Amino acid sequence: MRSSNPHIIVIGAGFTGCATAHDLALRGFRVTVLERGDIANGTSGRTHGLLHSGARYCVTDQDAAIECIEENILLRKIAAQCIEYNGGLFVALDEEDEAYGTRFEQGAQKCGIPIERLTGNQARKKEPNLTPKTRLAYSVPDGVFDPLRLAMAFAATAKKNGAEFLTYHEVTGFDFDGKGNIREVSAINRHTNEKIKFTADMVINATGAWAGLVARLAGVTVDVIPTPGVMVCYDQRLVQRVINRLCEPDDGDILIPQRRMVVIGTTSFEVEDVDYIPVTPAQVELMHQKAAELVPAVAATHQRGAYMSARPLIGSTTLGRSLSRTFKCYHHQETDGIGGLVTITGGKATTCRVMAEKTVDLVCNLMGVSRSCETREVVLDSYRDYYTHS
Amino acid sequence: MNQPLWKITVNVLRQKGPTDKPHFQSFPLEIHPDEYVLDAIEKIWAFQDRSLTFRHACHHATCGACGMRVNGKEKLTCITSLHTVVKNNGVLKIEPLRNFPVLSDLVVDMGHLYRQTEEADFQQVVPLEAAQLPYEITPNRTPNEPYERLVDCIECGLCVSACPAAFTSTDYRGPAALAAIQQGIAFAPNEVLFDLADHENGVWRCHSAFECTEVCPSNVDPGWRIMNLRRRVIHHRISRVFKKSQKVSRP
Amino acid sequence: MTNQSSPKRFIQWFDPRNRQVGSWAFILNRITALGLTLYLFLHLIALGNLARGPEAYNNFIALAKTPLIKFGEMLVIAAGIIHGLNGIRIALTSFGIGVRHQRALFIAVMVLSITGILIFTISMVRH
Repeated sequence: MRSSNPHIIVIGAGFTGCATAHDLALRGFRVTVLERGDIANGTSGRTHGLLHSGARYCVTDQDAAIECIEENILLRKIAAQCIEYNGGLFVALDEEDEAYGTRFEQGAQKCGIPIERLTGNQARKKEPNLTPKTRLAYSVPDGVFDPLRLAMAFAATAKKNGAEFLTYHEVTGFDFDGKGNIREVSAINRHTNEKIKFTADMVINATGAWAGLVARLAGVTVDVIPTPGVMVCYDQRLVQRVINRLCEPDDGDILIPQRRMVVIGTTSFEVEDVDYIPVTPAQVELMHQKAAELVPAVAATHQRGAYMSARPLIGSTTLGRSLSRTFKCYHHQETDGIGGLVTITGGKATTCRVMAEKTVDLVCNLMGVSRSCETREVVLDSYRDYYTHS
Repeated sequence: MNQPLWKITVNVLRQKGPTDKPHFQSFPLEIHPDEYVLDAIEKIWAFQDRSLTFRHACHHATCGACGMRVNGKEKLTCITSLHTVVKNNGVLKIEPLRNFPVLSDLVVDMGHLYRQTEEADFQQVVPLEAAQLPYEITPNRTPNEPYERLVDCIECGLCVSACPAAFTSTDYRGPAALAAIQQGIAFAPNEVLFDLADHENGVWRCHSAFECTEVCPSNVDPGWRIMNLRRRVIHHRISRVFKKSQKVSRP
Repeated sequence: MTNQSSPKRFIQWFDPRNRQVGSWAFILNRITALGLTLYLFLHLIALGNLARGPEAYNNFIALAKTPLIKFGEMLVIAAGIIHGLNGIRIALTSFGIGVRHQRALFIAVMVLSITGILIFTISMVRH
């Protein structure tokens, strides 16, 4: 029906891919999403699910913090169905943490993050499982989202607006038109093992930690360093709010309640192969110790599982245009002379909507389409409508 | 934790496209016994066969994507440790969930379940105040049992796969959706939910096999909820008759 | 697709592998129900035959005293007891009674059934 409209192929159905498809569909593009697995089967599904208030970065990276609090407020409005908004606490256990509190207060104020200072006893009244060593705490507007359902809510709304989601379609290569522009995308349907080609006016590579690999199929390089972290999950909901250690971001300093569980994260190291990252016992042990410092009851709670999630961290040597400090959008015409291909990577789940906004702004700009972004206002459809909208 | 790797054989039921005949394929695998069944499947996919399809997302029992049959029993594969289902040099059998259409290999179409829970207007992710209402506590909870929240159902479909009534009728709403209706009615009784429950494909289709409760990875206890819902439906019917006759008797 | 009817599917109705006692109860209930329905038809046919006169009546009574038919009658009684008692169990759980103890209830039902069947068998053999 909109055959005259430009056809955009989005590769990847994680947070970025789904949010991008949603934004594109709202702006009237024809959208096809190609995903090699199911919705959010890579990094997105495996995130800890922390809806950042930005407080975690308000001392070390204020741009990121401001981005987080803005998106936090927006997501709570458009995706309330997927968010357990219970707030969070930053907890000081020693003098060093307490001293950091002053900088934390200043940072939060500068970034516009509403915080409230609590005494150790007040904090323990809210969260009885907190360690008795709690000296002081700050309450912050952190939340927890359900990873799969957040991605599905974006996808459901995109589908309603005409986007097509082809899951289990793995992209295998690109064809060029002789002038260096991408004309076709080759994929393999993993349900049937059939090979299919799709023509596109523009291709958006939204494959996160795999962005480098997909870009290589087009003969371009994207400097993404997959940086996994371990997460360990415990069988009881020991806390009701997100618990952060009041210090600079470090290993094992967040506890996130999810349903009847609590998840502890995380570490950070670099890998080459993102498709299978084994969990090492040493990392699980480190998480266990760190979590027990904040919530001693963790030590006596049954461990339910441990898993890895690979963040897409952007290398420092990139030429790409920096739209933000936390994520990058590469227009490969500019950087490599390859037309019709844009890569979006980096960022956090909390900022997926704004990542999509900036990417689609760029696409609109490139294609001479002038339609402004509506994703700030449009409340997402129920994630279950992913199965209702055809 | 520094045990040597185990050598196991994983037999996966495979099917490409709707006309393909399902058949088992064996994959030899070296893997740590503390890893999970889902890790084993992911490892086969990563290093042996990229055409193997399976559903997965969160890897820690919060999304409900990775339900499969492991040695014939419904399991959430992301939290099922290998050493609990297979021995060193042993064989592991992996099949897709039953009572759902198979799209390929281990991937099933969950549409029916999701549409049913949507119709029941079941809020899946809710903040604290809404999650801690008194109605969601099932009786006879042992003190050590974790606190049960309304939102614990992760729509994984294990209950539907294990249910003998769902096996005989695709139109059955299924244990997950009926549990959702029970919770909805317990919280705020309304006619829409009663009509969904009081139907041949609602509570009356259940044959009391209690398999759903047995396989539920989140202690939602759909079996108890369906029985509770039956009682509520009967009570509702009786009170409706009573109200009607009251209305008639008034001048 | 899942719900195409086929003989294999029908057999799977009665496949107790990897199932819990609840399914065993369900399968037993199905088998006994089918058996009792079959018996009902046989019974009606037999009653119809009786009305054909004294000779038919005597022949039938002679047949009814053969061990095979006696065994069949015993099966009917067994099915009746199991189906009836299990039905009471299901009715109880449906009213919310003993839902948490449905396993124990099933075992109790089976013990009662076996006792009942034994008593009937013994009394039948004696007569």
